[in-house]
Amino acid sequence: MDQTAISINKLNKWYGDFHVLKDIDLQVATGEQVVICGPSGSGKSTLIRCVNRLEAYQDGHIEVMGQEETNLPRLRRQVGMVFQQFNLFPHLTVLRNCTLAMTRALRMDQAEAEETALRMLERVRIREQALKFPTQLSGGQQQRVAIARALCMSPKAMLFDEPTSALDPEMIKEVLDVMADLAQDGMTMICVTHEMGFARQVADRIVFMDAGQVVEVAPPDSFFANPQNLRTRTFLEQIL
Amino acid sequence: MSFSEIFLGILEGLDVTLTVTAFGLLFAIPFALVAGVAQQFLTGWKRAPVTAIIEFWRSTPILVLMFMFYYTLPVAGVYLNATTVAAMTLGLHIGAYGSQSVRAALQALDRGQVEAGLAIGLTRWQVLLTIELPQMAVAMLPTFVNQFIQLVKGTALVALITMTDMTARAKELSQLTFDPPAIYGALMLAYFLLLYPATVLGRHLERVVGRRSGRLNGGRAGDV
Amino acid sequence: MTFDIDFLQRILATIFKAMPLTLLLAFLSCIGASLVGFALETLRRTGRWQGYLLRFVIDALRSTPILVQIYFLYFVLPYYGVVLPGPVIGVLAMSLYYASYLAEVFKAGIDSVPRGQTEAAMAVGLSPLDVTLRVVAPQMLRNIAAPMGNYFVSILKSTPYLAVIGVAEMMGTTLEIASDTFRYAEPMILLGIVFLVLCSIIAWLVRRLEARLMANTRR
Ligand SMILES: Nc1ncnc2c1ncn2[C@@H]1O[C@H](COP(=O)(O)OP(=O)(O)OP(=O)(O)O)[C@@H](O)[C@H]1O
Ligand SMILES: [Mg+2]
Repeated sequence: MDQTAISINKLNKWYGDFHVLKDIDLQVATGEQVVICGPSGSGKSTLIRCVNRLEAYQDGHIEVMGQEETNLPRLRRQVGMVFQQFNLFPHLTVLRNCTLAMTRALRMDQAEAEETALRMLERVRIREQALKFPTQLSGGQQQRVAIARALCMSPKAMLFDEPTSALDPEMIKEVLDVMADLAQDGMTMICVTHEMGFARQVADRIVFMDAGQVVEVAPPDSFFANPQNLRTRTFLEQIL
Repeated sequence: MSFSEIFLGILEGLDVTLTVTAFGLLFAIPFALVAGVAQQFLTGWKRAPVTAIIEFWRSTPILVLMFMFYYTLPVAGVYLNATTVAAMTLGLHIGAYGSQSVRAALQALDRGQVEAGLAIGLTRWQVLLTIELPQMAVAMLPTFVNQFIQLVKGTALVALITMTDMTARAKELSQLTFDPPAIYGALMLAYFLLLYPATVLGRHLERVVGRRSGRLNGGRAGDV
Repeated sequence: MTFDIDFLQRILATIFKAMPLTLLLAFLSCIGASLVGFALETLRRTGRWQGYLLRFVIDALRSTPILVQIYFLYFVLPYYGVVLPGPVIGVLAMSLYYASYLAEVFKAGIDSVPRGQTEAAMAVGLSPLDVTLRVVAPQMLRNIAAPMGNYFVSILKSTPYLAVIGVAEMMGTTLEIASDTFRYAEPMILLGIVFLVLCSIIAWLVRRLEARLMANTRR
């Protein structure tokens, strides 16, 4: 439990002149769940996208399982990611969405990959939809498939970027439930979300970001009951 | 012969290339406008002949068209000089492609523009001439440049009907001196210098005007 | 022009005899142009300098007539000891020339696939090649079927140029009859009709294919 899964050290990133991420330091232990929140444009997405290097950064280090992997496909197989817009592959069935990377990147054979995929689909409670195409599913179902797709690679950690923001209210719960299960099973997670109920229930720590900086890090109880920073307080007043 | 001598020798054909281009435009632009507008506005059986004419000029290879008219017209008792035949066939071929862009541009225009024009009391013709076509002109600029390039490239074919353009000059020069790399290199260079600026301009305009739809340019290719 | 049914039949027979070769050359050129065009566009995206260089190559190919490019390959390659048969030169020239146009089609196609698709594919750890071939390419295909089909028709319509380097495609063989008999009108008109029909058939096939791709779209 004590081993560090993801370690972000003195991370700095610029878009041209714009300093998006400023000296970010964050360690996430194996099996830990961290929720990141903060106002729009504060750099939350950018930060977690740096972890699997969908974004390049100019300065600092990010280590996953103790090393800074330079082979990007290999790095990305260790870290699963779930997007706000699901980003399922519309030309492939649900099942094939899940098996694609296993057969192509891990060179697993088809049967084994399908077995794994069905197990993961079972885990997100959507196994019966395996042969449908993504657009035949509701948003909540699509997002659960996206989670299963990421799980298929047996990632060491999972990144979530506002996974419920694009969903209709009645579907949010089914996705959050799946994520809570994952947390229960001890998956290391970094989750950008504004679902504070989820954060309170699941997170070990909550990170508050503003203007490219980590402003405050605290366990949920003290984060909500006793925020230290003025900016955190203002933010919480707005969203709670 | 030195490379520069060869290059200058090829440029002796430039006037023919440019003349055919200029006369070709005289056929292409009116044909594209009239055929495109007609195809857009005519309905029912009246539209069929317009479509047939466009398809004839568009779907027949330009070299076949050129030979066809060059050799057939005299048989039918019509004597046109090679320049006219070349300009006409090239112009109408390119114009037929252009007509499809005209039509696509008309379709892409906001319906509200026509309605606003009619609402202030203009006739349909007046709306077309004073509102739709001027707005289309901007949208069609990239297409126009691209079609122009196709036309200039097409003029290389007149070498095959006895005219002495740049391409024909290259063939003449190869009778005088055996140096294919220099001769055909110089020929490529001549066309490149003539058209590369237009190619870059066309790309720039496309970016500025914005591609309305992929389909708008679907017929841009031509076969020259 | 007298109406001479035997002569017309002879011409048609000649044209039809040359049709398989013509279609084969066009078909191979379509494949060649697609492959080269896709490679050009994919490589163009790999970096800044590749970008400038390949953009220049593409624009240069477009700035010279295909007829001149055919002559160039036909006369210049042998000068350096590379002697290739006419049909090979023809396929090579058409592949290169049309690759420059298809590269642009692929560009529009690639851009039409949402960025999130590439990101999701990278996020599950696919290699760049798999991202392109398994995720981007299949999705862009339906967007580019129509323009690609148009260029395929253009390729077929460019085969007559190969007559100038002695390839016995439809134009070449038709010209042979014409110069044997000193009658050009009928052969050229018939050849025009044959091309018109062929091109219309292909255009129709392309439209059907496009409709099917669209119907399969579950977006
Ligand atoms: N490609 C880019 N180029 C330039 N600036 C960018 C780019 N992507 C993001 N930014 C800027 O970086 C800042 C951080 O963006 P980011 O998407 O990480 O914010 P966020 O915290 O995830 O916000 P949101 O809650 O809206 O998703 C924003 O100000 C954004 O405008
Ligand atoms: Mg974000």
